[in-house]
Amino acid sequence: MNLFGLEDREWIFLATVVFTVTTILGSYSTLKLHRKTGRPYTLGLISFGWILQTIGLYARGLQYGGCPLANRFELVQFLVWSAIVLYIFVGPAFRVSLLGMFTSGFASLLSILSLGFESWDSPGREPIFGLSPWIEMHAALALFSYGVFGILALTSSMYLLQSRSLKQKKMGGLFPYMPSILELTHINLRLLVLGFCILSISLAIGSVYWSQDIESVNTLKLGATIGVWLAYGILLLLRKRESLSYKQYSWACIIIFAIALLSLDAVDSSSTPVAGEASISIPSAHL
Amino acid sequence: MSSERHELLVVTVNHETVPIEERERYSLDETQVEALYKTLHDNSIIEESLILNTCNRFELYFKTNEAQNGKTIVFETLSSFYGIPLEELEAHAKTRGGQDAIKHLIEVSAGLRSQITGEAEIFGQVKNAYSKCQQFGGAGALINRMVQKGFQAAKLIRHSTPIGVGQINISNVAVDLSLKIFGSLDNTSALIIGTGEISEKTAKALRSRGAQDFGIASHSANRAESVAHDWGGKPHTIGALDSYLNNYDILISSTNAEEPLVTKALLDRLHPSRKNRPLFLIDLGLPRNVEPTCQELDNVYLYNLDDLAKIAQDNLSDRQAAIHTSEKIASQKSDAIWQMLGKRGLVSCQQFENR
Repeated sequence: MNLFGLEDREWIFLATVVFTVTTILGSYSTLKLHRKTGRPYTLGLISFGWILQTIGLYARGLQYGGCPLANRFELVQFLVWSAIVLYIFVGPAFRVSLLGMFTSGFASLLSILSLGFESWDSPGREPIFGLSPWIEMHAALALFSYGVFGILALTSSMYLLQSRSLKQKKMGGLFPYMPSILELTHINLRLLVLGFCILSISLAIGSVYWSQDIESVNTLKLGATIGVWLAYGILLLLRKRESLSYKQYSWACIIIFAIALLSLDAVDSSSTPVAGEASISIPSAHL
Repeated sequence: MSSERHELLVVTVNHETVPIEERERYSLDETQVEALYKTLHDNSIIEESLILNTCNRFELYFKTNEAQNGKTIVFETLSSFYGIPLEELEAHAKTRGGQDAIKHLIEVSAGLRSQITGEAEIFGQVKNAYSKCQQFGGAGALINRMVQKGFQAAKLIRHSTPIGVGQINISNVAVDLSLKIFGSLDNTSALIIGTGEISEKTAKALRSRGAQDFGIASHSANRAESVAHDWGGKPHTIGALDSYLNNYDILISSTNAEEPLVTKALLDRLHPSRKNRPLFLIDLGLPRNVEPTCQELDNVYLYNLDDLAKIAQDNLSDRQAAIHTSEKIASQKSDAIWQMLGKRGLVSCQQFENR
């Protein structure tokens, strides 16, 4: 859909360019000039990209009359959008150096992939949420939790990089500009709790509808949804009990997120476009 | 550029010009600084002056209305003030004039001229000197402009080059690494085994960055108690290490024990009850006090004397590699400041044109 003179994909393309530029500038400044890009600049650039992306997604959503979550392209874009919301609005409280650079890298990578594979942006299956705003909320919250887990995977990667540098006594590269490993472990725990709570609320909402119409969600979707939720739940339990080392925990955060992303794709491909009320199964797909 | 006939000059006695036994003759306390400002004020040919007096350098920046004889008169004034014969003073001091004086100020403020290249303390000392200069009435339009613009240039050098990046002494490298592990040292506790000089310096450096809780371990309980009393901390005996090691986050060891005091087997045993809390082992002992295999454990970070020295050396090399770029910036900026001063009529047109 055309909004303010540009098509929705064009707005998203521009946002992707901004995210990529932010990543390149941040990397160049840190690795070549040996200084961090100031947080206000990074935040400003990412926020600008996010506004462009929001316009694109809004234009897309106008077609459906709800959240644009009808195909892989939209799912990935909404996930990226959620991760950036978290960085913009909650990130400053974490005060994690270079998180902006990592987040923009994450956003540009996923955005480039989603724009690159034309088939991901298959025709929408509208109306996708039927008449219930709760189902829409359920889908949006679930995707938002994936955004949180995306940031968690980033901070986990930062932990592993920092820990590896300390172990191998390599003080160059990003090492001088990254936060301490203890700060990263505290942030990782907070992100896991936040993501798990949001996903749980989303599933609680979804389960009410699922219990009314068990056939509306196929077994693969249900299994993937519960699997991801359980994986994060078990990880949280193990982390709380300190049963995993921080290194194992960080690897687990990255691996579970990768599996969650793959399950999102598998679940989406198993969805059958349908019209009307029954089509609520599509956003539920990844939940 | 000759410094003989300039309105703006700097006279400097520093570690590059004379050894320490001569430098200490130029050291001034605050009362003497005030007295020197007064002496300079009383001299009608000196319009503005700035005295920089640190442990490693004495410098006098001044503006004179006698470009021909200004330098000679100032040397005579200083000779009389210090009671040092003029010939001796001339042998100790170097002068730089005009734009070179500004470049010198920028280089000094940025730490390029410091004995420890890139050290940051000098910037604060120059700021403090400027504040005193204003307090004692030494600053006028030229000094004010020159110093303010010089500070901006020095900050640019420090931010855009690695001249001040990384620590270059072993104690501070250890503290920097502690910060990379724990973030803040306010809630960390450090155990010091052995009471050598580097241990003491490292403990002091940790304390200066917020560490509060210290333990001192020695083979003898009496020695531990005596050092703990002097340095501040809880005394322990090395023999009972396994009973208290888990209470600490950082361990600094520098004994001359023949066998390692901290072994992987010991840490393996203690590890579960640490509940993932990182342990930073700083092994300053020779032979080594910590078994190298301890490094294999998750959340254990082991650095020995060579590791710390290598990091310090790498940082120093990075700083030295940045000197050329930094001097180039100082040159460009001093040129711009000099032109600006000329346009504002703060230095004479003749000098401005003849530069």
